Amino acid sequence: MEAMTGNKREGLKGFKKRGSAESQFGTALVLIVLIILQTLVLGFDYDSFGHWFSAWTRNWINILRNNAGIGIISLGMTFVIITGGIDLAVGSTLVAVGAVIMTLLDTGPKGILGNLGITGAPAYTLTIILAILLGWLIGTIIGLLITKGRIAPFVATLGAMKILRSVTQHFMQGYNPRVPREFLKISNLQIGNLMFMPIIYWAVLAVILYYISKRTVFGRQVIAVGSNERAAQLSGVNVNRVKTRVYSLMGVLVAIASIIQVSRIGSMDFANAGSGYEMDAIAAAVVGGTSMAGGRGTIVGTVLGMLIIAVMNNLLNLFGVPPFLREAFKGLIVIFAVLFQRKEKA
Amino acid sequence: MIKMNNITKSFGTNEVLKDVSITINDGEIAALIGENGAGKSTLMNILGGVHYMDSGSIVIDGKKVEFRTPADSLNAGIAFIHQELNLINDLPIYENMFLGRELKDKRGRLDLARMEAETVEIFQKINIDLDPRAMVRDLDASYKQIVEICRAIMMEASIIIMDEPTTSLTEPEIKRVFKMMETLKEHGVGIIFISHKLNEVMEICERYMVLRDGKLVAEGQVSDVTTDDLARFMVGHDVSTDKLTRAKSIGSEILRVENLTHPSAFRNISFSLKEGEILGFTGLLGDGRSELFQAIFGADQIQSGRILLSGEEVKVQSTEQALNLGMGYLPRNRKENGIIKDMNILENASIVTWPLFATRGVIDHNKQRDLFLDQTDKLGIKYQRITDSITILSGGNQQKVVLAKWLAAHPKLLILDNPTQGVDVGAKEEIYDIILQLAEAGMAVVVLSSEAQEIIRICDRALVMYQGEIQGEVSGSTMTEHEIMKLATGGMLDAG
Repeated sequence: MEAMTGNKREGLKGFKKRGSAESQFGTALVLIVLIILQTLVLGFDYDSFGHWFSAWTRNWINILRNNAGIGIISLGMTFVIITGGIDLAVGSTLVAVGAVIMTLLDTGPKGILGNLGITGAPAYTLTIILAILLGWLIGTIIGLLITKGRIAPFVATLGAMKILRSVTQHFMQGYNPRVPREFLKISNLQIGNLMFMPIIYWAVLAVILYYISKRTVFGRQVIAVGSNERAAQLSGVNVNRVKTRVYSLMGVLVAIASIIQVSRIGSMDFANAGSGYEMDAIAAAVVGGTSMAGGRGTIVGTVLGMLIIAVMNNLLNLFGVPPFLREAFKGLIVIFAVLFQRKEKA
Repeated sequence: MIKMNNITKSFGTNEVLKDVSITINDGEIAALIGENGAGKSTLMNILGGVHYMDSGSIVIDGKKVEFRTPADSLNAGIAFIHQELNLINDLPIYENMFLGRELKDKRGRLDLARMEAETVEIFQKINIDLDPRAMVRDLDASYKQIVEICRAIMMEASIIIMDEPTTSLTEPEIKRVFKMMETLKEHGVGIIFISHKLNEVMEICERYMVLRDGKLVAEGQVSDVTTDDLARFMVGHDVSTDKLTRAKSIGSEILRVENLTHPSAFRNISFSLKEGEILGFTGLLGDGRSELFQAIFGADQIQSGRILLSGEEVKVQSTEQALNLGMGYLPRNRKENGIIKDMNILENASIVTWPLFATRGVIDHNKQRDLFLDQTDKLGIKYQRITDSITILSGGNQQKVVLAKWLAAHPKLLILDNPTQGVDVGAKEEIYDIILQLAEAGMAVVVLSSEAQEIIRICDRALVMYQGEIQGEVSGSTMTEHEIMKLATGGMLDAG
């Protein structure tokens, strides 16, 4: 009788641990390596540690602040992708909401709230509420098209993306609203001499969404629907409502990102702002271990994914890689992240 | 003639085949039977080149062969017809016949004319009356099966492995496939017939081979044994077919269904069900009973008819509403419809009750765990850690977890669709006990099953469906396998 070896992979299957904790460990490790690399490139200075530390911190605050908008959007994108969907309309929604914010607040003769005699804090509060409502409405309509209208998420959001961008550009053509300086404090308020408000918004939202995903009925139902839609339905889960709410939530988060964007610089390029955000948000989620097939993904993973992409960008900048080539590196990270995660799973 | 000698095979620490030797002669139909997990599929997958054995040998006509891939096996003349047929619905028969081995002309274009001609030739050889240009989509299940068999003949297979070919077939369709098998036998082809239906084994096979726990425990001539013998070989002890009894306390009416009709799956369904009653629904595959109860449960559409719960008419639009109305539904096909593989045991066991025991949408994990531990004791669920993946549990324990999620919601009406599908004999009996206890406690229970024995053992009465309609009701003395089979195949009960 000749000796034969069995299929080794088959034999190992039972011992291999499954679960997201492990893949997040890998993601975190990659991030730490990148941060160390970045620190080395920036140069570590023993002699004037205080000076070095303040430069290091400033660099980091810059990175985080620049990525807060997409970071917030990627949190919602994680939920959308977990349900097995995708949202291509986030960039256009951002612009549409931004246009409404600026039109409401315009200090010129066309400013809606100004003409109604509402100014100052009430105007800002009202604008924020309306912006969030508009984001919610856009997201809900997209969600209903997908669930009740049974349009594939890719197609529904592709349509919404085209419509929102084009309508916004048409109505905002030749109109340059000016936002009151005070409104800009939302993103530019200085604490000490550092500006990190957008980072705080991002962090707070990440914590809230982490809590939603882990502890609430809705959060767990999102995973259930994404993992096995039919089983979830047959367990009494209202699948359509869960999916619609995921897109509504996405809309609200995009509206918040839009408020941050407008209040950072007080203006918006309606033709280009937010374009490519959908892909960057998807990239962050995927690098963070979210499965495009649905059912798997975590908020922690997505935050790590976003940070990896951000630090990578910063590094490429420090290394002096030409701007046009940087996107290629982003593409490489996404592909390697998925390959790496697949290896880990097998 | 094929001999498989001293085959062993392990997956991890799990020894699936222990020194199994079988022989299949040319021109015979041999039955390979055994319970789920007995090792039948593994043995056949080794013969089909899907798995490789740990030790042992395969000898064809005196020559030792090595099957490393399915192609090796196919080239040696062994065709494996899987339960899920490998046909492309949107291609005509003759193109399906040459799938993966398409005939081409000199310029590399498909030679459709020659493929069609060769298909016709095969059909003539074994007396099949089929239009080679017909689309596979338009064929019924038996003809699809036959097309697969013809493909095997075309590849000059000398041995054909048929894995439960009759599960999705109606009675006349089964006859058609059996006739085909007889023809093949006359042409000298050996057939390995894997089936759970022992009366089919008695009808079509000459020889039987029984696997149990990875060992060949019995083989011989079918003419020397009865179905009871075969069942005993499979299980290892006498199979109890006695009706289980319980303290019955039938209460008021819970569910009444009047003239329920679905666009395609069922028509004019009327019945009623009382507290504490166990009502069976049976029939052949595709009789519409699953669709019927999925519709009652709000997961499928209803065209017309009424549903009354405790005397009040309800329009169930969603499963969420059904849950709130006090209904529970354990679906068939656990893997596709029952378990959520990305979630752990506790989450799978509590998904139904999250909304019921949440405060402002926040899940009360302690309460969910307590509820589950309570069920664990009652149902005898065995697991290591509550946070383990559901997929590592055995079929029986998975099924109990799926059952637990519904019991935690305390439904008034519990619908169980194939509750013992893919669970072993021991777990099966445990599930029967649970069902009886639930009914004793006053729950109204519907059991959907295609196993007549299961229906007879646990149900008070049963409705038999045939092609989307209720063909008849059996209870008491009429509740026999014979009567159920007659109704399920479109016949009528004997008068009186």
